[in-house]
Amino acid sequence: MSDNPLAEATVERVAPPAVLVVFGASGDLTSRKLMPAVENLALRRLLPPGFSVVGVARTEMDDTSFCEHMQSAVQKAGGGGDEAKHVWDSFAGGGFRYVAGDYADPETFKRLKEVLDELDEQRGTAQNRLIYLATPPDTFPIVVQGLARCGLNRPANDDAFVRIVIEKPFGRDGRSAEKLDAIVHEAFEEPQVYRIDHYLGKETVQNVLALRFANAIFEPIWNRRYVNHVQITVAEQLGVGYRGGFYEKAGALRDIVQNHVMQVLALTLMEPPATFDAGGIRDEKVKALRAVDIMSPEEVAQNVVRAQYRAGWVQGSEVHGYRDEEGVDPHSQTETYVAMRLKVDNWRWAGVPIYVRTGKYLPKRVTEVAMEFNRVPHLPFAMSQAEGLEPDALVLRIQPDEGITLRFGAKVPGQAFRVRSVSMDFFYGAAFLEETPEAYERLLLDALLGDPTLFIRSDEVAQAWRIVDPVLEAFEEGDLPLARYEAGTWGPPEADQLLDRDGRRWRKP
Amino acid sequence: MAAPASTTIGSWESDNVTVGQVEKALSDLRRHEQRAAVRTSVLTLVAVVRTDAEADGARQIIHDLGVRHPSRTLIIVTVDDEPEAANSTDAAVWVHAIEREGRAVCFEEVVLRVRGKARHHLDSIVEPFALPDVPMVVWLPAGLPSPGDPLMRAANRVVVDSRAVAEAGGDVLIRSAALAKRLPVVDLSWMRLEQWRSMLAGLFEGALYRPFLEAVDRVEVCGNRGPRYLLGGWLMRRLNLPPARVELQRADHVSVTIHAVSGGKTGTFTVARLGAEREISSCVNIEDGPQVEQVLRMRHQWPSLALASALTRFGHDESYEEALAGARELRLAEGGE
Repeated sequence: MSDNPLAEATVERVAPPAVLVVFGASGDLTSRKLMPAVENLALRRLLPPGFSVVGVARTEMDDTSFCEHMQSAVQKAGGGGDEAKHVWDSFAGGGFRYVAGDYADPETFKRLKEVLDELDEQRGTAQNRLIYLATPPDTFPIVVQGLARCGLNRPANDDAFVRIVIEKPFGRDGRSAEKLDAIVHEAFEEPQVYRIDHYLGKETVQNVLALRFANAIFEPIWNRRYVNHVQITVAEQLGVGYRGGFYEKAGALRDIVQNHVMQVLALTLMEPPATFDAGGIRDEKVKALRAVDIMSPEEVAQNVVRAQYRAGWVQGSEVHGYRDEEGVDPHSQTETYVAMRLKVDNWRWAGVPIYVRTGKYLPKRVTEVAMEFNRVPHLPFAMSQAEGLEPDALVLRIQPDEGITLRFGAKVPGQAFRVRSVSMDFFYGAAFLEETPEAYERLLLDALLGDPTLFIRSDEVAQAWRIVDPVLEAFEEGDLPLARYEAGTWGPPEADQLLDRDGRRWRKP
Repeated sequence: MAAPASTTIGSWESDNVTVGQVEKALSDLRRHEQRAAVRTSVLTLVAVVRTDAEADGARQIIHDLGVRHPSRTLIIVTVDDEPEAANSTDAAVWVHAIEREGRAVCFEEVVLRVRGKARHHLDSIVEPFALPDVPMVVWLPAGLPSPGDPLMRAANRVVVDSRAVAEAGGDVLIRSAALAKRLPVVDLSWMRLEQWRSMLAGLFEGALYRPFLEAVDRVEVCGNRGPRYLLGGWLMRRLNLPPARVELQRADHVSVTIHAVSGGKTGTFTVARLGAEREISSCVNIEDGPQVEQVLRMRHQWPSLALASALTRFGHDESYEEALAGARELRLAEGGE
């Protein structure tokens, strides 16, 4: 296909004619994330005329009530308004269809195929389909096989596309991920598969790449010669809430570390890609993950802390302990907090410990990457003159207050020569006041445009599980004691000891 | 998009001042105000106007812009009705702060009324105010610079509005083309047409309708003089059409239609503003095939939003320069110039 001669590099590209097929259409993800993203894309004029949505779920509904239900759900999520009315009016004219049925029933897929054919004819959707699995993970194989049985897995011609978006978690461990991949690959080629981790759709996660590879001043010091250690923190201020049942089967390691933390880690540690396309970036991410050392059971015991929150106070409110949450076993051994020390075996990072931690009910919601640098080899003044001097640090704040902080030493004004650390804060919001698209909005458009850069490739998933699997095994074998921490604190004392043993301490973000 | 509110945290004004005095006033205002301590400026914006009324208009736009684009802004009023007056400058300075997510973002505004021959050497006045290491953008709300204007030497980019110049009777296209050869030019009129360009290009994303672009019979562009020539020129160049296949018609609202034939079927592709309702429609009509239409509200075209967007553009806008060249060709084909 020739290039679009009317496309301009500085003007945002509009998605091609297509149908978004959402499995799990009556679920929370669809109404809270996907439909607001669809509305916003339409409001930004990035969806073509004829763009259509087909919802598939077990709940009985007709086309009209599905459209109305989605419109009111988007309004509840903060969307809507006068401008949005036009969008929904245009969808109401046949652009929102609904197929009710069981995923295990072949009839569901037959009816879906009929609806898609009608849309191609009536709304010019060109046999292009973006299939979104917003369903619980255990249904992925059933839906994928159902699609394949009806031939909905393959494009109808060379110019059409069929892509499938799969939500995390990608398996429960390396083996199940491999099995899921095998099922998906029986029906879909890897370039058709878009594994989504919404973290990668965040502007500030992408900014890690901009900071590293668009600036000559950072890259020369981004290695073992200058970096003393790295701390990656993904802290959540909320507890498990109504997701207790889900969380019991997941835990912090599967829910956050295997995906979000590993993605941030890969972007932080990767080598500069030769090209900024999907292949170039994903190849380097895989190489970085492959260099992370796999822990033996003894090493897991030394380098990993797992913990669970007990009752405490968060933001002035008293909160339950995890075992008292709805849907949680009163004797649950599921971790809500993980801290790990990772080792990376390559030339750039050998000998630089990478500390990662994540947890629920921590004092504040924050995601950041902190590089702490080595101290100067010799301080030319007395220690008493540099009592307030900490090692230099560069902190990439991913959320909230997206920005960069550089900590360095400066002289305290006055006759005496005293040095202390100061923080220079760069706040993205002060430099770029443009509205940034929500992660799902960005990723949905990328998938429609066929850009997989911010989606996770099969080998990335495998590498992330390779790192996490031995830890998971130790958890499941009960080899690692479950520590407890008070909700509203930065984790258990064992996590502090993990760094204390190395003569370091966790940052207070 | 609701803009966060700004507050004025300091001001100063004086007549017949030196540039040094104004700089000192700015520095004093910032030093004594905690909220002005942090500044993340990305450019120096210089607006050049001819009257106090134009200055008020520019100030309002810049004030709205300030909450979207942190910059130091200079508004220079060249007092042209006293050509023989001695060189002198009156100045007024404001420092504003916007509270955003609990942080104050500061921006500065300087209005200078310049008399005498200094009006022809504005570069010497703006240079001392330029923030270090960030680009200087010169905005001419209602004009184009004269050839050899020394201010253009200091500028990294220039923002013009060819519609405003055309309304004032200027020969915009030729002068804009000449200016664009020297400096990156952002034309707000061209940016306002982005909705039509983007939606029209969007109709040909994917393979379904792309073949129609290889067999375009004719295009119709309606609108006021500037927009219709720019869009007509752009389409002519992008689709490699001879001028005879581009039909331009005068109308109050902009619309573009491409007529094409592919696989023995005729196709009509239209993006049009639907009148005073501020709605824009994109429509595909294929013979014996799909007929789809999407009607959306037009984007707000507040001047400050257009300017904020213009300030994010860097380098030469190849599409605009192509459109200017095409527009000129259309004029020549009509026997113009």
